[in-house]
Amino acid sequence: MTTSPWQQELKKCVKCGACMAVCPIYRQTGREEMVARGKLNLIERLNDKNELPPGWIEAVDLCLLCCSCEENCPKGVKITEIIADARYRQTEQLGLNPIKKSAFSLLKNRFLSLPRFLKAGSFLQWLLWRRLPRHSGLVRRLPLPGLDDKTVIPALPQKHLDDYLKKRQTPTSNLKPVIYFPGCATRYLYPQMGLDLLYVLELLGFQGVVPKELNCCGMVTWGAGDQKSNQELKQRNLEVFRKHSDIKEIVTGCASCGHALKEYEDLPQECEILDISEFLFRHREKLEELVGTDKLEKKITYHDPCHLRKGQGITSQPRWLLKLIAGENFIEMRHPERCCGAAGTFGLSHKEISREILAEKAHDTDATGAEIVTSGCPGCLLQLTEGAVVADSKWQAEHPISLLADLLRKGVR
Amino acid sequence: MTGPVNPIRNQFIEELKQSGFTDKQIVVADESRACYGYDATRQSADPMLVLLPENGLQVETALQLAAKRKLKIFPRGAASGMSGGSIPSSDGIILSLTRMKQILEIDQENMIATVEPGVITGELQEEVGRLGLFYPPDPASLAFSTIGGNVAENAGGPRAVKYGVTADYVMGLEAVLVNGETIRSGNKCVKSVSGYDLTSLLVGSEGTLAVITKILLKLLPAPETVKTSLLAFPSMTAAAHAINAMFKNQIEPSTIEFLDHHSINAVRDGLPFSLPEEADTVLLVEIDGTATGVLSQSQKLKELFKDDALLLIEAQNESEREQLWIARRRLSPAIANLAPHKINEDIAVPRSAIPEVIARLENLSEKIALPIVCFGHAGDGNIHVNVMLDKDDPDQARRGHQAIDEIFAVTLELGGTLSGEHGIGNTKSAYLDKEWNPATIATMRAIKRAFDPDNRLNPGKIFQQLERYL
Ligand SMILES: Cc1cc2nc3c(=O)[nH]c(=O)nc-3n(C[C@H](O)[C@H](O)[C@H](O)COP(=O)(O)OP(=O)(O)OC[C@H]3O[C@@H](n4cnc5c(N)ncnc54)[C@H](O)[C@@H]3O)c2cc1C
Ligand code: SF4
Ligand code: SF4
Repeated sequence: MTTSPWQQELKKCVKCGACMAVCPIYRQTGREEMVARGKLNLIERLNDKNELPPGWIEAVDLCLLCCSCEENCPKGVKITEIIADARYRQTEQLGLNPIKKSAFSLLKNRFLSLPRFLKAGSFLQWLLWRRLPRHSGLVRRLPLPGLDDKTVIPALPQKHLDDYLKKRQTPTSNLKPVIYFPGCATRYLYPQMGLDLLYVLELLGFQGVVPKELNCCGMVTWGAGDQKSNQELKQRNLEVFRKHSDIKEIVTGCASCGHALKEYEDLPQECEILDISEFLFRHREKLEELVGTDKLEKKITYHDPCHLRKGQGITSQPRWLLKLIAGENFIEMRHPERCCGAAGTFGLSHKEISREILAEKAHDTDATGAEIVTSGCPGCLLQLTEGAVVADSKWQAEHPISLLADLLRKGVR
Repeated sequence: MTGPVNPIRNQFIEELKQSGFTDKQIVVADESRACYGYDATRQSADPMLVLLPENGLQVETALQLAAKRKLKIFPRGAASGMSGGSIPSSDGIILSLTRMKQILEIDQENMIATVEPGVITGELQEEVGRLGLFYPPDPASLAFSTIGGNVAENAGGPRAVKYGVTADYVMGLEAVLVNGETIRSGNKCVKSVSGYDLTSLLVGSEGTLAVITKILLKLLPAPETVKTSLLAFPSMTAAAHAINAMFKNQIEPSTIEFLDHHSINAVRDGLPFSLPEEADTVLLVEIDGTATGVLSQSQKLKELFKDDALLLIEAQNESEREQLWIARRRLSPAIANLAPHKINEDIAVPRSAIPEVIARLENLSEKIALPIVCFGHAGDGNIHVNVMLDKDDPDQARRGHQAIDEIFAVTLELGGTLSGEHGIGNTKSAYLDKEWNPATIATMRAIKRAFDPDNRLNPGKIFQQLERYL
C-alpha cells in the first residue's frame, strides 16, 4: 500500500485516550483497535506494508466517521480524514470489500443516477416492502442478505423533489434568492421535507433556488474510500456554485451535506454554506414574529446529528429553533450527542453494531416520553425511524423544519 | 509484525480455552496485540498475548494458569497512564480489565458504591449523581480512565484540596494475587481496624502487588451548588498570600487551579474575557456546598480581594462558568504550540512552597535556555511542570534531561515529592532513591517480594531493574 499523506498528522496523536470516552464503536466492541487511538496506531505502523492483516482492514472499516473522536481530541488530530484516506489506499490495493461493495454500489448508483435507476424499476424489485402504520418508513417483508425484517427503508415516494419543483410556481418578485442544496436523501426519499424548507424560506422572504444539476455532496463516496467519485461529484457541484456565484448563501437541511460542502476547498469567493438552523437563527427576529405565540402541543426531543454537532459545531441554533416551535414541550434526551449508528452505508454493512448503537439511542429517546424525535439529518431520521420499530416504540422522527412548516401553515391559515 | 509461533503461548491459550475463556477474550493477532502495548506516555511494546477477563473468577484463572508457566502479567485499565504503568514487555501478558465494567451496587443507605475495576470514573459519577450522591475524585482523565487505574495510581484532581484523592474514598478491595488467590480488605464500616490495612497498601501500588477486581467506594451527598471565580494577581507570591488568606477567613474552596505567566500568555488570545497586562498569576477558584454557604463564602472572597486582585470575575451561570474554565482547558493544546515536544512532570510540594518552586524553576529555565511552563493545583501544591523543547535537537534533549534532574532536586529540597498524581511507573523509577533512603526502599521491596516473589506482576515499574529490586 502507498504511504499515507497524513504522516505528520498521525504523529500528532499522543495516545492520551480521550477518544475512548466518545467512540460509539469502542463502546460496543470494547476493543482497543476499534477506537481512534488504536486505528491510528495501526494505520501508522502498517503504513507502507503490502500485506494488510484482517484486523487492520476491520479496524479501518468499522468506523462511523461520526467525528465524535475529533471533537474530543485535545490534539485536534484529523482522524476521519486519516481513516477515509486509509480506506482509499486500501481500496486502491484490494478493491472494496464485498459487503461494502454491494451495499455501496447500490447507494452510489442510487445517488449518482437514481432517477434512471428508479424508472427501470430495479430498485423497487430489489427491495420488497410492507407499509407500517404510524411510521413514515417501511419494513421489509422478505429476508434479503444483509438486511433483516426490521430494516427500515423509507416509503419510496412516488415523486422526487425535482418533480414537485417543476410544477411549483415560485413568486420570484421581492424574494431574495439563496441556493438550496437538498442532498440526495431529501431529493429522493424525503421530498416533503424539501418542500417544507422552501416554504419556510419563502415566508421569510427568500427564494430557494435548486439548480437541477446539483449532485450528491460526496460524503458517502468519501467515506467509502472512493476518492475518484468524490472528486468528480465535488467538481460538478462547484461548477454549479460558480455558475450561480451571484448568490452567496447556500442553504441545506442535511447535516451530512452541510459538513461535506463546508469542507470543499475552492468554494467561490464569499460563498457561504449554511445549515438551515444557522440560516433561520440569522433571521430569528422575523421568524419569531411569524411564529408568534403558537406552539406545537406535542412533546418533542432532539438528537444531534454527528455531522452537525461534531462536523460543524452546531448545537445551539437547532435548540433555539425547537424551543421556538415547542416551548416547554421540548425536552432534552440523555446523551443527545451520541451517534445513532446510521453513518451512511454503515448501517447496512455492519447491521449488528449499528443496531446496538441504535438501541441505546432508542432507549434515551423513549425515556423522554416524547412523541417526536427531531434531527437535522435525513440519515439520522431514517435510522431513528428504524429505532422506533426495533424498540417497539411509538415516536416519529421528523426534521425540525417540517414541524416549523406545519406550525406556520396553521398560523397562516 | 508476525512473530515466531510460540509453543508456550499456544499451550497457555489452550488451557485458557479449556477453562472457559472464549476466542474473543484472547487476543492473539499481531495487529490487535499491537493496540494494547501503549499508554499516554507514548511508549509502546507489543505484549505476547492480551486477555480480556469478564469477572474476578476469570482473573483468578488467568493468573493461576500463568503462574504454572511463570508468565509475566501486566494489568491494564484505560491506558491513560502518564508514567508508563501499563507498558508490557514483549514476553508478557496484558490483562485488560476494561470488560469488567459493572457497577455492582449503589448502597444509598451506607452511601457506598461497589464497582468492578473497569468502570469509567465519569460514568460512575454520573450514575451516583442521578441519585443525589457524589464521588469527588476528578482526575482530568475521568471521562475515560478506569476506577481500577485510578485506585492503582491513587489518582487525584482539582477537587483534592477540599475532598482529597482516590485513596480517601476506597473503603475496601478485592484483589487477585499473582498465584491466582483472591484477597479481601476493608468493608462498609467507617471504623474498621482489624489487621493490617491492606486497602491502603494496594491503593497506589501501580499494579505491582495484585490485580484489583472489586472496589468499595465511599460516596458523599452531592453539593447543592458550586460557584466559580477567576482572580488575577501581579505575582505568584501575591497569589500564594491570597490562598492563605482564603483559608484563614474560613473560605474552603473545592478547587484552586493556577496558571503561571507563561501559561497565561499561551492562552491569553482568544479568551472570552480580557486579562490585564500585569496579570502574572491567575487563580481559578471554586466554592461548593449548600446555597447559603456558597453565597456567604463567595461574598467574603469578593470582599477580601476587591483591592488586591487585578481582576475578579464571578460566573453567574453554567455558561459563564464554562467560559472561565476555558483558560484552564485550552492550556494543554496551547502550550503544545510553544515547542514540538514537552517533558511533563507532576511534582507536588507543600502549598506554602509554591512561590519558591516557581521562582527557582524560572531561574532554571533561564539557565538551560528552554521555556518551563507551570500550572496546576495551587490548593494542594501539585504542579504540572512542562519543559518545552525539540527532542530531535540533541543539545536541547540534553538540556531537557538536565532540567528534570534539577526539577526533582528542587522539589525534594523543599519537602515535596516526585509525583503528585501520575505515579512512578517506568518513567520515574530511576529517581526513586532520590526521594527515599535505602531502608525505606528496602522495606518497599520487601513488601513487593512478599506479594510477588518471582517479580512477575508488572515488573519494571516503581523499582528499576531486577538486581536492584531483589
Ligand atoms: C489527558 C490526561 C489527563 C490526566 N489527568 C490526570 C489527573 O488530573 N490526575 C491524575 O491523577 N491522573 C491523571 N492522568 C493520568 C491517568 O489518567 C491516571 O493515572 C489514571 O488513574 C489511569 O487510569 P487508567 O484506567 O488509564 O489506568 P492505566 O493507565 O491502564 O494503568 C495505570 C496503572 O494502574 C495499573 N492498573 C490498572 N488497572 C488495574 C487493576 N484493576 N488492578 C491493578 N492494577 C491496575 C496498571 O498496571 C498501571 O500500572 C491523566 C492522563 C491523561 C491522558
Ligand atoms: S484523543 Fe486524539 S490524541 Fe488522544 S489518543 Fe485519541 S486520537 Fe490520539
Ligand atoms: S469517527 Fe466515530 S466511529 Fe470512527 S473512530 Fe471516531 S468516534 Fe469512533
